Amino acid sequence: MNPEILAALEALLFASDAPLELGRIVEILDLPVEDARAAIDALRAACEAAGRGLAVVEVAGGVRLVTRPELAPVLLQLQRLRLKSRLSRAAVETLAIIAYRQPISRPEIEQLRGVSADAVVTSLLERRLIRVVGRKAGPGRPILYGTTREFLEHFGLRDLGDLPPFEIPVQPAEAEPAAVEAVEGPSASRS
Amino acid sequence: MTAETGEATATPLTVRLEGFEGPLDLLLHLARTNEIDLAQLPVRQITDRYLAYLESTDFRDLDDAGAFLVMAATLVYLKSKLLLPKPEAEADELDEEGEALRLELLARLRAYARVKEIGEWLRAQEAAWGTRFGRTWSELPMPDYLPIESVSLWDLTEAYRGFLARLGRGEPSRDVEPEPPSLLARMAEILGVLDHSWYVMFSALLGATPPRPEVVVTLLAVLELVRLQRARAQQRELFADIVIERALGRQPAEVTAPVEEDEGGPTREP
Repeated sequence: MNPEILAALEALLFASDAPLELGRIVEILDLPVEDARAAIDALRAACEAAGRGLAVVEVAGGVRLVTRPELAPVLLQLQRLRLKSRLSRAAVETLAIIAYRQPISRPEIEQLRGVSADAVVTSLLERRLIRVVGRKAGPGRPILYGTTREFLEHFGLRDLGDLPPFEIPVQPAEAEPAAVEAVEGPSASRS
Repeated sequence: MTAETGEATATPLTVRLEGFEGPLDLLLHLARTNEIDLAQLPVRQITDRYLAYLESTDFRDLDDAGAFLVMAATLVYLKSKLLLPKPEAEADELDEEGEALRLELLARLRAYARVKEIGEWLRAQEAAWGTRFGRTWSELPMPDYLPIESVSLWDLTEAYRGFLARLGRGEPSRDVEPEPPSLLARMAEILGVLDHSWYVMFSALLGATPPRPEVVVTLLAVLELVRLQRARAQQRELFADIVIERALGRQPAEVTAPVEEDEGGPTREP
């Protein structure tokens, strides 16, 4: 791997305040995608091999230069920082629902959690972990929410595919039985 | 739970109930601590436990109390069905409606149990990621082009609210105000600015202490341009100034008409 490319990539990642997408790296360094990817891998390996304090990680659809986890105590002594604020249980549960079922309306969230989600949704919007993605067709046209890139960044996820699989049973009232009937008549014929 | 001390019961119980995220959470907890088989969801048993728990609690938040009480009503309804005398022998069987209700409740409980697990997973992930630090603010000079991810209506309204709040702190409102510019004129002005520059700050579109109608019209103009995909808007943080930038792929056809019409500037009426 060309050391100049590695140096340029390192500088890009160092100066970026957000995950840098592969596409942008390709564009800026004027490289074929495979070469850009190889450069990222090479830089990651180089950081690891040299025992550097920084590591190249993939998060929120991009590449980012972050400190190694074991150095957190050192960093916390800098200005006596506190750990990054953590979300409440209500917040993570609501986020979990939105992440899997997006786009989803507030009543649907409340149905799943069993309590009002008004305050939580507002605070998640304020923290930009979720956003309004549209309105649902139907009575009241409720607002639909989805997760943001900040959500992925907050949890250090590459994309939504990083989430563990989640099987929420389909709501009983929804189209399912009707659809079956439309195809092949009453299901009684099976037995 | 009553086995605990006599005097100190009231307060600790309140604290404990507030630790629950809602009736589903409480039900799950009851099922687990009493080793109730969720798949069976024995209505009598769980209803009794649930009601006992509610009785030992005083709610501070009416909304929350409502959610807990709705669940209590459902459970009591189910239980009442069991208590009604039945023609046939099976005393512990619910009728069709009751069974459907029970199954629905069961499905909700299962789904919520999974939500809780995922929530825990997310928290673990958050904690692990929280030990890693990256740059949060770029030292690079302001870019010509700001990539836009998401400026939601929320961001715009919040920025607008912040703007008005700052306005309020300034000098008192004037009595006589000039006629606000028309929406189309404002849109044209913004597009005109964007013809020469990649971006413009929302505050730069207004004077030092702009009259309120002008702020409103300007915000509407920005929203309209964003809707028509003639411009994009972004905000780096809450209450920060909105950056309005040129849309990437400009489709000249649709909106040029009002633009040209108003391009003449302030002298719209002779």
